Amino acid sequence: MICFKYTRTDGAEYLSHLDLMRHIMRTMRRAGIELKKSEGYHAHPRLYLNSPPPVGVQSVAEYGTADTEFDGDFVGLFNAFSPSGIKCLGAKYSQNNPNYANSVTACSYIAEGVAHFDADLVLGEKNIVVCDLRGRNLDIRPRIYAVEWQDDKLLFTLGAGQNNLRADLFCNYLCGRFGGRAEKIIKVASVGEGVF
Amino acid sequence: MTVDTEKLRNLLTSVEKPSRYTGGEYGADAKEVAPFYFCMAFPDLYEVGMSNLGTKIVAESFRRRGYSADFCFTPYRDFGEGLRREGVPLYSLALKKPLGEFDMVGFSLQYELCYTNMLYMLDLAGIPLRREERRGGRYPLIVVGGPCAVNPEPIADFVDIVFIGDGESVDADVADIYLECGGATEEFYARISRLDGVYVPALTTVKYAKDGRICGFEGITRVRRAIVDDLDNAPFPATQPVPNLESVFDRSIIEVMRGCYRGCRFCQAGFIYRPVRQRSVETLTWQACSLIASTGYEEVSLNSLSTGDYPKLRQLIRSLKENLPADVTLALPSLRVDSFDGDFAQDARRISLTFAPEAGTQRLRDVINKDITEDEIINAAKSAFDMGYCAVKLYFMCGLPTETDDDLKGIRRICDLIKGAYNAAPRKKALRISVSVSTFVPKPFTPFQWERQITKKEVEERHELLKKLLFIRGVSLSLSHFKTSVLEAALARGDRRLSSVIENAYKKGCILDGWIDEFNVEAWEQAFAECGISPDEYTRERGEDEILPWDFIDVGIDKNFLLRERRAAYSAKVSGSCLKKCNSCGLMSRCPAARGEI
Repeated sequence: MICFKYTRTDGAEYLSHLDLMRHIMRTMRRAGIELKKSEGYHAHPRLYLNSPPPVGVQSVAEYGTADTEFDGDFVGLFNAFSPSGIKCLGAKYSQNNPNYANSVTACSYIAEGVAHFDADLVLGEKNIVVCDLRGRNLDIRPRIYAVEWQDDKLLFTLGAGQNNLRADLFCNYLCGRFGGRAEKIIKVASVGEGVF
Repeated sequence: MTVDTEKLRNLLTSVEKPSRYTGGEYGADAKEVAPFYFCMAFPDLYEVGMSNLGTKIVAESFRRRGYSADFCFTPYRDFGEGLRREGVPLYSLALKKPLGEFDMVGFSLQYELCYTNMLYMLDLAGIPLRREERRGGRYPLIVVGGPCAVNPEPIADFVDIVFIGDGESVDADVADIYLECGGATEEFYARISRLDGVYVPALTTVKYAKDGRICGFEGITRVRRAIVDDLDNAPFPATQPVPNLESVFDRSIIEVMRGCYRGCRFCQAGFIYRPVRQRSVETLTWQACSLIASTGYEEVSLNSLSTGDYPKLRQLIRSLKENLPADVTLALPSLRVDSFDGDFAQDARRISLTFAPEAGTQRLRDVINKDITEDEIINAAKSAFDMGYCAVKLYFMCGLPTETDDDLKGIRRICDLIKGAYNAAPRKKALRISVSVSTFVPKPFTPFQWERQITKKEVEERHELLKKLLFIRGVSLSLSHFKTSVLEAALARGDRRLSSVIENAYKKGCILDGWIDEFNVEAWEQAFAECGISPDEYTRERGEDEILPWDFIDVGIDKNFLLRERRAAYSAKVSGSCLKKCNSCGLMSRCPAARGEI
């Protein structure tokens, strides 16, 4: 298997997860990287991606696993045949599938446009209840791991996987409380077993 | 100037399917610096437009001359409103260039209900809708092409040039002349109006009699359709952009043939794309291989009006299987029941098969020159069932000339026979039959161009009967909406007076009329009423001696041939395929079949 890290920028952040899967599969077909297929009547290529960030959130830290026997220049070929916003940043061979959808437990983001506030104020809260996209009240405080300012950019780390918190939801909460408008959110790092 | 989509980030994150508007498709290619900029505008949503092969062929014809060719599609309401709010003009996808800055913006008119989308796109781009309003301003040439261009009169007041016929060369020829003349000068229009396939509405005046009917044309009174004789050497994009999101036909498409030998009397495409021209097996094989390699698609669709009539289909399939990767599947979406062959269908996904008997009885099928028998329908279904298919889609029309209740009852009979064929052998799954019935719309350049469209009351009565007849286990019925059919009929056979109605409807918010959820029948009715025009004037039966709005356009089909075919229809006489006998349609000198070359 080949584990690879890739971007989702330059317009690719607006793709749905299914469309992104299709693009990566087609990139590999064009590049001649043959994916193994599942067994069964409707065989499908064995490609595994981490949980997607929300549509509109850019990323330079996405991870995927391709079940393939390919042993050539994966990064070079992938990038030669991929759309401009989906670029491979690195790849490594693995005996097992790290299952990034589960193994990534936290992600760090940078956001621009949120009005300045005291990060300790947020981290000092015991509970932060927001309404999620399904209309449910949700205490997001346990899923906020770090918040700090780097000049006028907000750097924050949120739970992923089973403790996932959407970066855009968090930014909406911050902007609703402190003002501003998150113009651009980029996932800059993923934390968890198997990431590189 | 280019539009900075980075500044549209908040808009993009708030709309449905934002990747429709971002560009960046793999394989998209538009020159940033070129002597001429062409924008291929498709008046429907991205996922519909990206499936269209014709627009890609036209864009390729510009690229081959060293010109820049980009794409633009109709934005959905949410994005369109957002653009207006942000004060950003509609832009092309690759260059992010506002439409108003192109030299030529071409709309591909695939169906009549997209006319308001064209106005919507012009409006969003800040380009005045009417030709007269653009006069003297620095605006691109607004041009149209596609099947609806054979009767461009309803939209003639909005456009500068209409391309009629094959778009492989004449569109780019016009760009050459534009550059030679230094722009859209009088000399430019004089020169292009002499080309086959070019209609300049400003150079033709329509004369109306007191009763509102057309009594003549002045100015340029004959416009010939452009016909490409040799498809093998015609421009074809060997690489194509891969859509950002799943498109309606998410696969590689090759055009096996253009035109159809059959001459079904209701089918406009069967007449306006004559004569039948084919690509060679070698050409199609390299086109398919190139597309699969450059796109990464897993499926190739062999398109034409009737792919089963391609004489070397077996050879083509063998060649494709030998040369394409083993996991690439072939789709043959246009197989007639009498050309259905187990070998051809083996490659398709064995789920559902579509047949189009069009009419329920042999008599009515003979009227429309469908030239297939009940036995052929049942035998094709049997072959499909034996290969594992367990679902059949059947397409019919209601409102065909001479139709009676017995013809509708015939639809039920076909369903019963198909069920009987399925149940004659033990099968694992239950059979599903989907019957789709559309309302017949008479179209220009067909033998039925003089026919009336049936009234709303008649449609409702026939739909009620069909619902009763087909309320049976395992059969689902889908009926087309009359309200869109009547508008389609009015626009298809309309004249220049309809431009005010279209503009009025657009100003009342009508866009995306082809999408039934978006169609606003009340607004269209008001638009007609406010312009003092009744749709009935356009859906009525036309006299054979009447001057029709499209009579000055010469698609190559002899009007007397259409009249002969109309008479044959009323006698339920089948003319048959051009492969069996030439029926002297008027294109004999350009038709390989008529010359005995096929």
